[in-house]
Amino acid sequence: MTKAYFLTLVLFASVVTGLWVLPGCRNGSSGGVHDTATGGGVTTGGGATTGKSAGFVFKEKLSEYGFFKGRLADLVPSEGLTSYELVTPLFTDYALKDRFIALPTGKKGRYLSQGVMAFPDSTIIIKNFAYRNPAKQKIMIETRLLVKDPGDGAWKVMDYLWDSTQTDAVRHITGAKVPIILLDDKDNRISTVYQVPNTNDCKRCHSNNSILSPIGPKARNLNFVREGHTPNQLAEWDQKGIIEGLPALTQVAQLPDWKDSKHYTLEQRARAYLDVNCAHCHTQGGDALNTGLFLEYEQKDPQHLGILKSPVSAGGGAGGLNYDIMPGDAGHSILAYRMNSIEPGTAMPELARTVIHREAVKLIVDWINSMHEKK
Amino acid sequence: MRSNGSLLLIAAFCCMLFASCNGHEEKAGDEGYKTTLTFGPGQEAKIAEAFLSLKDSSVIRLAAGLYKFDNLSLAQLRHILISGEGAGKTILDFSSQSQGGEGIRVTDLKGFTIQNMTMQNSKGDLLKINKSENVVITNVHAIWEKADSSSGGYAIYPVLCKHVLIDSCVARGSSDAGIYVGQSDSAIVRHCNAFSNVAGCEIENTTHAEVYDNEFHDNTAGFLVFDLPGLSKRGGFVKAYRNNIHNNNIRNFAKAGSFGTAWGVGNASPGSGVIILATSNVEIYENQIKDNNSCSITIASGLAVDDKALEKVGDSYFPISKNISIHDNTVSMGNAFPQPAYEHHIGKILVGIEQQLIAQDASRKGKRLPFIMYDGISTNLLTHGAAANPDSLCIGQSGENMFVNADFLNIRTPAKWHPSTDMTPYRCK
Repeated sequence: MTKAYFLTLVLFASVVTGLWVLPGCRNGSSGGVHDTATGGGVTTGGGATTGKSAGFVFKEKLSEYGFFKGRLADLVPSEGLTSYELVTPLFTDYALKDRFIALPTGKKGRYLSQGVMAFPDSTIIIKNFAYRNPAKQKIMIETRLLVKDPGDGAWKVMDYLWDSTQTDAVRHITGAKVPIILLDDKDNRISTVYQVPNTNDCKRCHSNNSILSPIGPKARNLNFVREGHTPNQLAEWDQKGIIEGLPALTQVAQLPDWKDSKHYTLEQRARAYLDVNCAHCHTQGGDALNTGLFLEYEQKDPQHLGILKSPVSAGGGAGGLNYDIMPGDAGHSILAYRMNSIEPGTAMPELARTVIHREAVKLIVDWINSMHEKK
Repeated sequence: MRSNGSLLLIAAFCCMLFASCNGHEEKAGDEGYKTTLTFGPGQEAKIAEAFLSLKDSSVIRLAAGLYKFDNLSLAQLRHILISGEGAGKTILDFSSQSQGGEGIRVTDLKGFTIQNMTMQNSKGDLLKINKSENVVITNVHAIWEKADSSSGGYAIYPVLCKHVLIDSCVARGSSDAGIYVGQSDSAIVRHCNAFSNVAGCEIENTTHAEVYDNEFHDNTAGFLVFDLPGLSKRGGFVKAYRNNIHNNNIRNFAKAGSFGTAWGVGNASPGSGVIILATSNVEIYENQIKDNNSCSITIASGLAVDDKALEKVGDSYFPISKNISIHDNTVSMGNAFPQPAYEHHIGKILVGIEQQLIAQDASRKGKRLPFIMYDGISTNLLTHGAAANPDSLCIGQSGENMFVNADFLNIRTPAKWHPSTDMTPYRCK
């Protein structure tokens, strides 16, 4: 009798182990990985695979979330979803971006004077990327999700790639190259191969000291009046109960609008642009920490800002130039040179840009050239 | 009995499961890893996907053959092994790279080994490993088949890492350094071969590095140890021994613009064996340093290449090289500068020093620049002192024509400029 019990135990253990080993076996023998999970160890529909983070499960299709009502591509937000804008946005090949945030019912984010605001678990940030085709139609490319996983409190990323019929977007981790002809802000036709990031690309820009987080929703970059809205956007968020702890708006920092030359100086606009487009990597703890070039809006050290700073590891990417910024001489400044390139190994930012942002290059060139007198 | 029979059946089934798994998965060296994924040529899309969805404690095995990738990346993982079937057998080609700074990008891994493969022809760097710990790169050949300014910067490039071993690797064709260890701590480079690069091997802002039993040859410069300003840390405590550093005489093909490249490796003159720049606590001994025909060993301060170096002094940078010990190396040089040295801004200076020594002492006619060229810029400059050897250089080399203090501070005022071959103050005590 005892013997039988013992045998049963051993067998039970073997079965469990056998089943546990099976998925790995399948991957190994078929030469592919079908478990398309992100770092969080979650799979579609099946719940947690590892048992560690019984948390958020990314759905297979964008439509399954119910974020939008009506035709999906119209991006009409459902109840509980709030659209927002940034005063100075990241450039991505002249893409049209729609941003939304959804907080769990009854929960609020907390205002922070510096950095990204503190959002509760289960917050979802949605960013849709589209372009204008030569017929001036808005064509969807991809939708990126950032989710604060209640399983472990960590932010997770996922990309959804729109199908050719523009009816839905499907979960996609490997990145994609999408040949498109787009119109830029001045209706010039530009032919390019748009690069949809893979999940590691997402992590590169969104991680600081190994912790993944959103980049955009900082109070100072939300602190403005949106076109067609009356109150300030942060006040709107306050009224809607998205955030708490908002001080009087006069006490909230404001990032300059990089296009607004009426209210902001050339330097303010250039620094705001560099902050948003570069400083997620070019900062302490960021992906470009090794370069010593730090471009946060609040950075004051001329060496870190690149002024008469020799590059470290740019190699040929520096174009044979000596300094990141040569005051008064944008033509000999690596910063402007790399923004004005689309060559891999030279182009900056390294990711998510295949087209030159002409207006921004002009801004940075003008700024560097204006430094002449301060030299 | 009956129930026991069915249990036995289940047991047999389980054994079969294990058997089939083990047959596919376990290979020598995979012990201790939870999962092994095996791929062959033609499965590039699946491999890229596997890199992106990899779990901790995994092995990726790549069978022999040619693979074509845009780029690959690994991020935020623990205990990963990527293995080919051998250099020259498993070949990863990145000539179609369309985005990013490198062929393979590894970020934030704890426990990463890559081995037994060739990787080649990326637009940017070939293998960049950022912010990782316990990194082992073994028997990896990282090459650009065409060595010119269009080649990527670095072939093997760990940066901001801790505990790095680069063993039995080949680096070829880099427009910057073939093997480049930057801002790291505890690194070993051994049994490697670097050639046809601008720099064979560079140790930069890195502490506790040992470089031994390597061959660095036919580069612009063979081996460099230096610190740059404004970075996360200061380097030092670097030893290089038993290396064979020879025939580093090729043109500096780092991309040069209208200014000429006056930073980093652009400063390396063709014909340089070893360059020690703006760093401290370096020991170079028992190396073969032969036929590097401009300068066998250069010891210089950041001021030699950057007039503003003193303004950049801080916790992580001090431009004047200190505690440099050079002893028991076997050194020899050819009869003349390599032609490309005459076209290089530092090469021209070296030529000028050789000529100046002859001008000062006619009996030197026909003699080459001494093996060790020290720029002579010492902390006396800061203290206004006159100590003979304030920065504790120690030269333990016997033989003739070994040393010159090139008096860089006066190099622009010919009337005062007086390079000196007196090695007395710098002899190891």
